[in-house]
Amino acid sequence: MSVLELASFPAELLRVDVSAIDALAGAEDALGGVTVDVVEPGEPVRITHILDAVEPRLRVGGGRTNRIDGVAVLSCVDFPGEERPLHEQEAFVDLAGPGAAFTPFSSLTNVVLTFVPGADARHVELDRSVRRVTLAVAELLAEPTHDAEPRDVERFELGPAADALPAVAALVQLSDLGQLYTVYVDSVPAGEAGLPRAVEPAALLDTAVTCGEYHWAALRNPTLFLQRSSLVRALFQEHGKRLRFAGLVLMRGYEQTAEDKQGAAERAAGLAVELGAGGAIITTDGGGNSHTDTMLTCRACERVGVRTAVIVAEMADPDSTNPGLTDWVPEADCIVSSGNAEELVPAWRPERVLGGDALLDGTSAQEAGPIPVRNYLGATNQTGHLTLRATTW
Amino acid sequence: MVRAVHYLNQFFAGLGGEEAASTPPTRIEGAVGPGRGLAAALEGVEIVATVACGDDFFAEHEEEALAEILQLVEAEGPELIVAGPAFGSGRYGYACARVVASAGVPGLAAMHEENPGRGAAGAALVVPTGSSVAGMRDALPRMARLASALAAGRELGSPDEDGYLPRGFRRNHLAERTGAERAIELLLAKLAGTTRTEVDAGFDRVEPPAPVTLAAATLALVTEAGCVPQGNPDRLPSIRAAGWLRYELGGETSLATGRYESVHGGFDVTLGNEDPNRLVPLDTVRELEGEGRVGRLHEAFYTTTGNGTPVAASTRFGQEIAEDLRARGVEAVLLSGT
Amino acid sequence: MFVTSLPTIATMIGANRIVRGPAITHPFGLSPEERRRIVERALAMLESDVEPNTVWELEEVSR
Repeated sequence: MSVLELASFPAELLRVDVSAIDALAGAEDALGGVTVDVVEPGEPVRITHILDAVEPRLRVGGGRTNRIDGVAVLSCVDFPGEERPLHEQEAFVDLAGPGAAFTPFSSLTNVVLTFVPGADARHVELDRSVRRVTLAVAELLAEPTHDAEPRDVERFELGPAADALPAVAALVQLSDLGQLYTVYVDSVPAGEAGLPRAVEPAALLDTAVTCGEYHWAALRNPTLFLQRSSLVRALFQEHGKRLRFAGLVLMRGYEQTAEDKQGAAERAAGLAVELGAGGAIITTDGGGNSHTDTMLTCRACERVGVRTAVIVAEMADPDSTNPGLTDWVPEADCIVSSGNAEELVPAWRPERVLGGDALLDGTSAQEAGPIPVRNYLGATNQTGHLTLRATTW
Repeated sequence: MVRAVHYLNQFFAGLGGEEAASTPPTRIEGAVGPGRGLAAALEGVEIVATVACGDDFFAEHEEEALAEILQLVEAEGPELIVAGPAFGSGRYGYACARVVASAGVPGLAAMHEENPGRGAAGAALVVPTGSSVAGMRDALPRMARLASALAAGRELGSPDEDGYLPRGFRRNHLAERTGAERAIELLLAKLAGTTRTEVDAGFDRVEPPAPVTLAAATLALVTEAGCVPQGNPDRLPSIRAAGWLRYELGGETSLATGRYESVHGGFDVTLGNEDPNRLVPLDTVRELEGEGRVGRLHEAFYTTTGNGTPVAASTRFGQEIAEDLRARGVEAVLLSGT
Repeated sequence: MFVTSLPTIATMIGANRIVRGPAITHPFGLSPEERRRIVERALAMLESDVEPNTVWELEEVSR
């Protein structure tokens, strides 16, 4: 198993070269340009039409990757109306006000890239260009780390662990419902990446998986949430102490037929067994029938003796006592709540709006509210990255 | 001072014991019985009247009793209603729950958390108590504290903070640890033998019972298809059934057309009424009993209407029917759903 | 054991032995012959060991 070293550099190293970013965007036919804004933590800004958030990263060889701490690159684009994707939902963050607590961006310096679609750009090409430029900008911003001293270096290595410790695997679900609704594994859509598959345990932390999914704002994992994965980092932390980190399996969410769903669930469970896991933490991505993939995977694991904890977001009507689980199996007796996406965040008026002045439903981004948690980027992500949860009242 | 009405059953209102259980709704001036201890602990609230009703009367004339009780309550112009404490008494707890759920003013009921009537409270608050009247001294101050908070219009905290039973509303908050850390914690606890969950689907899980040898067993027919004797003599509702019914078969070999019907309001009963055996396969099972495939068909069938029934209610029906079946030595059930 | 045309609801609420019936309006089918087949399938299930929340179709389907 290879070792990953993450070297962290302070945000002071950030140098935003707008002309270099312009040049990257200029090289893309599908783009008509880009506006760059740098927003400091806590500024009263609302950012809309967000596609992804990426941390500045640079691989320098020898298993080391440099990262700039405290910075996020956000990509925003308002897809041209005529071909608006079916499942697209508004995705934004508030850097102040009552919505600020729902995402981590309010404590980061955000480099916001607002892309202008090129004339006649089709959504698929536009998306591809936006992703390419955003990832390139994230790398560009990390270049100054080449000649600087890291503040600290973390080694992600799985050394020996006592046999008596319980072995726990992470089974991480990645969406694929076609382009614009897919997550990429080494640049390949999840559905074409041979999943479920065991990968290097630190793979997520090194930007092996990037987000190209634009529905379910709160329930998806922006790239940054995977780069900084609380789950993988915690499992490495606990390795040798309270558990043995048996490994990481990536699985696809939204398998398309009942047979595929069942088969994939069983194969994922089989991989957990091969890794020697006695327990597995199963994550979810997106909403709707990906929750069925989660529950079938839970059942398949339990049936082969791998005990499970499952992480899902809830869609509970705040005024009703109906449970908000999208799907459930009785084997799912250990569920972690990543929050109720249907709860409303009180209205707040930002001083500035980036990304686009009108929300997808036409309302003014400045006047909108109260807004469901559902629309805040990654707020109820189902890899357990944040601290939001729901309890019963 | 906020005006409050206190609901009690016949016993706690001092009207008598079981022999007074058929007392219709009645009004008593001020606070009586446990209401006096409650009144002493309340802040900013005055119990202006007590409304009492016999537990049997409520159980046997539910809607009528409730309407009369609410009328008596309303006549006091209250801003708050308090019911109980009912402790473990199911009929009393159910009545308390229905009263506070329907009263139209803020309020609370009090009863043991396993009181079967608890589910009827819906969105209304229920203060947990001990299971018997020995818990009275403990219950009254806690009821008073929550009632006083309601009267003052204070925004409620969580069930733990404010001393009431969770009702099922899901509310967000930021935990001390990430979901990932909590997942690891919960999974390690589960592997060590203690299983806990942050989300309850609301449905319990039972292991599948061992298979039965039917040739030696008694099998009963149960349905939620709303099958009843023609004319629906016991008035099973088409929607929101409040209970279930048990009908002796008297050795009948078929649910004959015209002698049985379905009153289910959730599907087209035409085909079921043409031949009720399509809903409850009595004729087939009787045949199989005759052939020895089934040892014995239980002498009655059980029925309710599964249409718009709250989960809490139908869970209760299931438990009650199961208890009845077990008490009668039934070993297997064929349940039909629509 | 539960005969219903809505097995997903049955599994959600935790029923363990479930046979899928043909329709909401007639879970035991229309004809006495069909009814017999469905009841026999249900009885067979009562006499079988099952995993939790198992749904049997009327015909055994080979994978």
